[in-house]
Amino acid sequence: MLTRKGKYGLKALVHLAHLPPGTLAFVSDIAVSNNIPKKFLDAILGELRNAGFVQSRKGKVGGYRLARPATEIKIGHVIRVLDGPLAPFPCASRTQYQRCDDCDEATCQVRHMMLEVRTAIAAVLDSRSLADMRDATNDDVLLELKQQA
Amino acid sequence: MVVSDRPRKSIVIVGGGATGVILAAHLMRRRDDGFRVTLIEKREEVGRGLAYSTTLPSHRLNVIAERMSAYADDPLHFSRWFTAEHPDAIGASQFFAERSEYGRYLSELFAELLSFEASSGRLRRIEAQCTRIQPAGSGLDVQVSDGTSLAAHAVVLATGHVLDGLSELDVATRLDSAEDTPVDSRSRIVVLGTGLSMIDAWLSLRHRGHVGEIVAVSRRGLLPHPHARQRNPIRLDVADIPLGTELSYFVRWFAELIEETERAGGDWRDVIDGIRPFNQQIWRDWPATAKRRFLEHTKAWWDIHRHRIPSGIYAEAEKALAAGDLKLLAAKVVGCRKLDDGSIELSLRRRGAAAVDVLSCSRVYDCSGFVKDVSRTSTEPLHSLFQQGLARTDPLRISLDVTPDCAVVDAAGRPSTKLFAAGPLTRGTFFEVDSVPDIRLQAARLAEIVTR
Repeated sequence: MLTRKGKYGLKALVHLAHLPPGTLAFVSDIAVSNNIPKKFLDAILGELRNAGFVQSRKGKVGGYRLARPATEIKIGHVIRVLDGPLAPFPCASRTQYQRCDDCDEATCQVRHMMLEVRTAIAAVLDSRSLADMRDATNDDVLLELKQQA
Repeated sequence: MVVSDRPRKSIVIVGGGATGVILAAHLMRRRDDGFRVTLIEKREEVGRGLAYSTTLPSHRLNVIAERMSAYADDPLHFSRWFTAEHPDAIGASQFFAERSEYGRYLSELFAELLSFEASSGRLRRIEAQCTRIQPAGSGLDVQVSDGTSLAAHAVVLATGHVLDGLSELDVATRLDSAEDTPVDSRSRIVVLGTGLSMIDAWLSLRHRGHVGEIVAVSRRGLLPHPHARQRNPIRLDVADIPLGTELSYFVRWFAELIEETERAGGDWRDVIDGIRPFNQQIWRDWPATAKRRFLEHTKAWWDIHRHRIPSGIYAEAEKALAAGDLKLLAAKVVGCRKLDDGSIELSLRRRGAAAVDVLSCSRVYDCSGFVKDVSRTSTEPLHSLFQQGLARTDPLRISLDVTPDCAVVDAAGRPSTKLFAAGPLTRGTFFEVDSVPDIRLQAARLAEIVTR
């Protein structure tokens, strides 16, 4: 389930993916331009650093940058780190599984289909990279601009 | 039946060990007759490569019979063969068969395929060594040691583990090689490595009647763990696994999963076995730094938990360790010297120690695992493939560089449309592809790819 944390993390990573390779960005700049509370962003970037997606440098010339090229960082990999297993709801995860009190999982048709949904989610998110997300054109905006013209 | 005149696609498999035979078997399962397969193997009998050429009864499979079928979708294929051969065997799917028996299974499987395909002409076998592969027209020219050459549309390299250049020590010998001459049975022998191959070597030496001390040396000196009585893998899904993260992050997640499983009454083996279906994907998605760190720091731990031995053999090893017949040493070899009387002096620095000890022995066997750099091999046809720029190593240099479709990547980084590889030669890309449960899946996929 994509939480605010996952969304903010992806926005921050896309921000970093726009920078020329090797350039560092200040947390405050990322926070302001993406409308993310700075304290929250600090925590998120800390987790992304632990997982090896970003690198940081302390001090006046410090900040964050991607640890690897944006083409090598997959969206699904980032979401697992920030939001846990890619599961549409709790009983569809195996590691962070929570049993529903009100149904029998072996015969629950809802759960059965949700397992299929989970597989589909993973297939999409694990094949899209940060570079794909960065370079995706925002079709809605383009359409609107065209119509206005 | 109408026999078509259109030229059939010629597919050559180089190497007739387990990988080559299982691949041939999967190709023969295909219904079309638009191709023919030639298997080149220098040994008289196919199916008996490095793993299954042993004749020693105590050399057993490290995987239970029901996971050793040549076909993943027919898991009892091997068990059925075994029960037919040994009608009095009970529970033949749950035990660890002798490796020589498994070699015979593969050999008979291939013989059966050959005779079944005699009229179709889809399968033949050449008893020779492949000496060189080179481009010729739109295909490849495969040269063999009897002086002939074959024109191929597609070639699959299935030559197995690269063994020459394994050790940087030139005093080391490979077990059962030509240099493996008899030594004084009371002398001390050193084995480099403490994993599965060391266990094999120790069993062989004991079988030969060696009574002297056997010292097994590796950086950490860790023995493989025994199998549990029952396999009970946890169920995992790809959505649960933190793919693409740095090694430290992944290891922490994995350790927590083991703790949780054990708290719930499970065993660490259940976690190791549960993650197995995802090992290739985990490896593929790791950044290059994680792969390097894994080989350097974590592989030793992983190997002893992942590559386990039957509990009976483990018990025997423990007995030998207690009696002092077998010794484990966590140390690094820092030097070696061959003396005039033929004995060898090894300089060893024990783990965590500064001082260097000298250990003299009559023989050093190399059972230490991965080759440091595959491109330094002098074995054909790999050597000339590297020389012609038709192949290159993966970034870690542990195998050939191949695509996820097993196509060999050339020196300029272009994947071949004609040259493929299978088995241990592809482990830079897949990592775990040296045991039958993985090889049979790869073979099924390759059979589809090369007949396209």
